[in-house]
Amino acid sequence: MKIEYNFAFFDEGSKREIRRATLKAIAIPGYQVPFASREMPIARGWGTGGLQLTLSLVGKEDVIKVIDQGSDESVNAVNIKKLITATTGINVTEAMEEATIIQSRHRIPEVPLREGQILVLQVPLPEPLRYYEPSEYETKKLHGEKEYSGVWLMLFEQIMSYGNMSTGADHPVMVHDRYVMAPSPIPRFDNPRLNCSKALILFGAGREKKVYAVPPHTGVISLAFEDFPFQTESFRNKSCRLCGAKGVYLDEIEDQATGKTIYQCNDTSFCMSRLNGKI
Amino acid sequence: MKLDAVHDIQRAYRKTLDAMSRPGLISNIKAQADNIDVEAGCFNSTVVLALMLLDTEVTFKAVSEREAEISRLINQLTYARAAEPENADFIFILNDAGPLALEKAFKAACPGNLIDPHKSATIIVEVATLGNNGDLIITGPGIDRESCIKVQTTDSWVDIRAEKNVEYPLGIDIIFTDSSHNILCIPRTTQIVKRVVG
Repeated sequence: MKIEYNFAFFDEGSKREIRRATLKAIAIPGYQVPFASREMPIARGWGTGGLQLTLSLVGKEDVIKVIDQGSDESVNAVNIKKLITATTGINVTEAMEEATIIQSRHRIPEVPLREGQILVLQVPLPEPLRYYEPSEYETKKLHGEKEYSGVWLMLFEQIMSYGNMSTGADHPVMVHDRYVMAPSPIPRFDNPRLNCSKALILFGAGREKKVYAVPPHTGVISLAFEDFPFQTESFRNKSCRLCGAKGVYLDEIEDQATGKTIYQCNDTSFCMSRLNGKI
Repeated sequence: MKLDAVHDIQRAYRKTLDAMSRPGLISNIKAQADNIDVEAGCFNSTVVLALMLLDTEVTFKAVSEREAEISRLINQLTYARAAEPENADFIFILNDAGPLALEKAFKAACPGNLIDPHKSATIIVEVATLGNNGDLIITGPGIDRESCIKVQTTDSWVDIRAEKNVEYPLGIDIIFTDSSHNILCIPRTTQIVKRVVG
């Protein structure tokens, strides 16, 4: 049976609802706007929030790039691309320069975003205060009152226990000096890229039914203390074994034959275009 | 109606999204507005915005000399229900509304509450012309340093809006549209100062 879906899978009413939430999200940077989060043909927790945002945005002229942990070719990225192209017929690309919408899981690409692009991030846990406050109503109240001592205490406790802030990814940020926001599980390395970005950045959490946004040229500061400044992952004196890139986010891989640790670009399309001499 | 409910609305949405994320940027939806073939008595761009944003889930208020007529039309086109300005999700201030009506609507509009600041009103205002050559300097998220805008309407809106939006994150978001189907968005985060000559 072949079902003729509407353009971009959704009915227009569903798109309209997501669009209304997105416009409010942009008007209140960092604030999580609830939305209806439709049933999708992929399971919740597999990027449905990002996918719903992308489907509400996409038009016939768009060119889309989807990445998962830096890779254009992993299962999640491939399946999302298949659904988008099957219901819209638009082109997909791996090149950052060609893409108008970039949907990503857990990374902001190495190639800087440009004006006019939209980065859509998939978010598993949109609530940065959930770690210490299980009630949704309470966290909404805490955000309303800008009462963020809990999140500071969480970072302080990490320093007490481990000697430094031990957030591996999803290090909380302050947006436009008002809302503490979960930047989605991007590595700390990518946090500074949210600050005063040239592109609009949208966040979609399908399971948790929230969308939020960071408009272009908006201040996004990673939380830190004066005596414990925010630090990104360091790859000093290390470079990609394939393309030799330095100062980029690297994957640490163990060579099972020799037992040695080797490093490789996490952003595969960036690595590939360097190897092909395009960058 | 010649308007393509899927693709024209999508294009208009992306233009509006651009304008909302970059206050001061003037987008144009003439191509979509020209496909509206109902005699609405308001700008065609306003009809496009109504079709883009309204459905049975939201309420609206039309502020116009011909309020009853316009309200009926918006209801017929979108199935959204008319409501009092205090409760309306969207308020349409049409170009035939006087300066006092604009003031009244701005004052009455719901600014949301601290737990749910997104439950605030979005106000769509029809003005004579929009431009970037004006004496209003805007700053805030979405704006690289600063930008200039010109909104040809009653002057008092800047002050009433400032009063309304004093307690961020509460506030109202405004979408201006003009007779050439330009769109300019002023979300609540935008700070406006008047350029002083001299």
